[in-house]
Amino acid sequence: MLASLKSITSRIRTTISSRRVDHEFASELENHLDLLISENLRRGMAPDSARREALIRLGGVTQLAETNRELRGLPMLETLAQDLNFAFRMLRKNPGFTAIAVLTLALGIGANTAIFSVVYAALLKPLPYPHSEQLFNVLQVSPDGKATGWSYLNLEDLRRQNTVFSELAAAQAHQLTLTGHGQPFVVNTSVITPQLFSVFQVQPIVGRAFYPEDGKPGAARVVIFSENLWRGSFGGDPAIIGSSINLDKDSFTVVGVMPAAFRFPQIAQPDQIWIPLPADPLFGPWMPRRGGHWLQVIGRLKPEVSMAQVKAELDAVNANLVSEFAVENSGWQIRTASLQGGLVRNVRSALLVLLGAVGLVLLIACANIANLLLARATSRAREIAVRATLGAARGRIVRQLLSETAVLGLLGGIAGVAMAYWGVRSLTALLPAAVPQFNPIRVDYFVLGFALLLSLLASAGFGLVPALFAAKSDLQGSLREGGGRSGESANSRRARSVLAAAEMALAMVLLVAAGLLLRSFNKLLDVNPGFNVQQIVTAEVSLPRTQYSTPRTWLGFSDELLARLHAEPGFRESAVAIPVPLADGNINLAFDIVGMPPLSASENRTANYVSVSAEYFRVMGIPLLSGRAFDQRDATTTPRVALISKALARIYFRDQDPIGRQLRFGFPPDPPVDREIIGVVGDVRDTALGSDPGPMMYVPYAQAPFPGAVVVAKSSVGLAGFTSAIRRTVASLDKDLPVTDIAEMTQILDSSVAQERFRTDLLSLFAVMALVLAATGIFGVISYSVSRRTNEIGIRVALGASRPQILTMVLRETLTLAMIGLALGVPASLAASRLLGHMLFNISASDPVTLIAVAVALCAVAVIAGYVPARRAVRIDPLRALRHE
Amino acid sequence: MPLQSAANKSAILQGTLDLMVLNTLASLGTLHGYGIARRIEQVSEQALQINQGTIYASLVRLLHRGWISAVWGMSENNRKARFYSITKSGRKQLQTEAQNWQRISSVIGRVLAAAARS
Repeated sequence: MLASLKSITSRIRTTISSRRVDHEFASELENHLDLLISENLRRGMAPDSARREALIRLGGVTQLAETNRELRGLPMLETLAQDLNFAFRMLRKNPGFTAIAVLTLALGIGANTAIFSVVYAALLKPLPYPHSEQLFNVLQVSPDGKATGWSYLNLEDLRRQNTVFSELAAAQAHQLTLTGHGQPFVVNTSVITPQLFSVFQVQPIVGRAFYPEDGKPGAARVVIFSENLWRGSFGGDPAIIGSSINLDKDSFTVVGVMPAAFRFPQIAQPDQIWIPLPADPLFGPWMPRRGGHWLQVIGRLKPEVSMAQVKAELDAVNANLVSEFAVENSGWQIRTASLQGGLVRNVRSALLVLLGAVGLVLLIACANIANLLLARATSRAREIAVRATLGAARGRIVRQLLSETAVLGLLGGIAGVAMAYWGVRSLTALLPAAVPQFNPIRVDYFVLGFALLLSLLASAGFGLVPALFAAKSDLQGSLREGGGRSGESANSRRARSVLAAAEMALAMVLLVAAGLLLRSFNKLLDVNPGFNVQQIVTAEVSLPRTQYSTPRTWLGFSDELLARLHAEPGFRESAVAIPVPLADGNINLAFDIVGMPPLSASENRTANYVSVSAEYFRVMGIPLLSGRAFDQRDATTTPRVALISKALARIYFRDQDPIGRQLRFGFPPDPPVDREIIGVVGDVRDTALGSDPGPMMYVPYAQAPFPGAVVVAKSSVGLAGFTSAIRRTVASLDKDLPVTDIAEMTQILDSSVAQERFRTDLLSLFAVMALVLAATGIFGVISYSVSRRTNEIGIRVALGASRPQILTMVLRETLTLAMIGLALGVPASLAASRLLGHMLFNISASDPVTLIAVAVALCAVAVIAGYVPARRAVRIDPLRALRHE
Repeated sequence: MPLQSAANKSAILQGTLDLMVLNTLASLGTLHGYGIARRIEQVSEQALQINQGTIYASLVRLLHRGWISAVWGMSENNRKARFYSITKSGRKQLQTEAQNWQRISSVIGRVLAAAARS
């Protein structure tokens, strides 16, 4: 033991210091040569022949050095090289087997690597900011737990009392129109406090970040560009610093450019600008309102503070806020959550489920290859027996077989990585916007390492079983039996059947999951959103505040726009609304019912708020259930009115008649006013197709105009006709106004379910892969079994078995496998589907229809997979079969 | 010097050469490669003429197994040379190998004798 250890260390030493050892060996040989020559000289030889004779006796010096080098190398490395060499030869000799195995593996590893690269970039890799683990969302959570947000004044109080954060900043996102530089365009605008950049510790690539003074009311209006915007729309010209641009017709001075990698808070947007809060035409006026919870607050924790300290301090801040400003803050609570966790919250479980699913695909692929290898190992039993007889140790044979599978694994891994490169590119194109791409999704070293590890694990997985069987194989038996058709041991046969059944079971898990998601997705698409989808087109127009500074001008614009649009052929039915369902989020407002006691602090009445022109309900097909809809009577000067949705009436008025009652609410910065309920309209799924309709309240656009609106029209001329009509109409009113987000309602609906579609499509793809692999697995086992039993079947036929009997016999074997697979698969599927629970819409995770459909489909596929070899069995000619021996 | 074919030279089995090197070092103490080669040739009374370089392959093998050790020193012609000596485990190995060899050669002898008789 000790000796062999010494030998290894000695070899390692010489392998490491190889150059020096070569040199030493040369000088040792020189000495030897020298001594031989002097010996010859002493014997009286001439110097010339003395040297020649000495060289002959020593032997070829180069060869000696070569032998010496070989000898002192590591024997393990040498046999490994031998094994690998042999493995490559074996694989080349069986191109069909190699191709199938490598392809199967490449599919599995490629899919895994591609999904993993998304998981890694989104969930595992830290955000690309220094010490990103210190970054936290500081959330002020509403009493019902549904909403979060800070008012500017609350944030300033937090900032004054704070000792645990090294920096705090707030942000809010919207869009402004950029003019004064070619065509006017809409730009993603992040409204922030100046500390945002120091929270993230990012430096501008040109110019400066914001100073604290930039955030004070009345400061000069400054703006910072994102690198992409700067390069894309301003040619990357450094002279941009100090120049001025117009945002909603207000002049701003550009002071800096942030690197492309920094995309906060609009993570999904490559282009954005940052402006300080007070300068923003929309949110600036909100700053003094303590009751508006509208800012997202991000803080960087000091390195040494504990989460317990943070919680204690935030609780204290919260208590102060509640006691000093009860009206605005009672019932609200302050919490922290990791910034990254918050960014990926919506996609985490879906991504993990996909990773699990694709892992199962790889498992099936491995089982398949193990099966192939087992079959081959049986036909190679003789070769292995011969080698064992000639003195190869068991361990050596196992090592040889394992090196073959390792080579297979690596080849599969390489092909898989190539596939993953391609897969990642198509994945990123399909990825729903909900998956934040703050880290680029790509096959980097970490992902490559994962792929390598995966291929090694996989080859160990599928290689170990056959190798162990080979090591245990019965030498004498193998040698005695004839050539390639040597008997397969009962153990090995059982192992192959178990593998095939396990593949069935795993495929079933995936198929059930995919089936559930598919059915759930179809139900989601079939759900009635409560409004018309067909033929509805939308487009957004925003009005610059400087030019359109009063509600009167906003209303004037929309009235004129609708009037001109109505004059266009094919747009008789059009309306404006803000916001439209399923498009850009909702406005959720608290309201009071006049005449009812205000709710306690912990309760909250909220409803989604929509401002619409009179024609909206007709265009959208939302039914009026009672009372009247909006019309010309509801103007700026007439009494304030509102329509409520059926859900609001049901929840808050129960059996009373809501018509004639009054609600009190206001969209900040407007103060709350009393509005009379004049009617009840049908429910609409405005948040998400999958969420039940919540309470909604509508107000006439004339009484609550916006600096801009979404035009909703019923168009018989299609999107192209609408696009040109709306562009023409808006330009005829004001040529500097961009029209954005032109879309059909069906597209809006589609993109609202993008995430569901993505995971359903991907999981279905994996399930199909699993099914194909499992079918090949069954096919392999059955056709091997048929070829092994050729002789037996020949005898049966000769003894009078009919063809249907033979067919039944083979198919019974197939079905037995399938049944075992299903018996394992049903409980596994039920367990696995529970993980899908919250992703399912209107369908139970243990939905029997899906389960039965999948089971039947699997049996059918198994029968088809078994039918091909069964037909071969039927065609066996008894005479030839008997000679098969 | 007697002429010998390459086939005859290579016919010296690896193990045999290792055994001879070990034995030489055991009886003479520390020697360099040349010394070992000379000694083997002398002892075998020139009957065994080896390709002297193969000694070094044998020496590397024995070093790796820890049966001999080596130090650098000066040879009689004032050149740097490596001097080899047998280790404790080398002596043990020599003993076993020698016994083995005796047994095999006596078996082979008996077999050959029997073959000659029949």
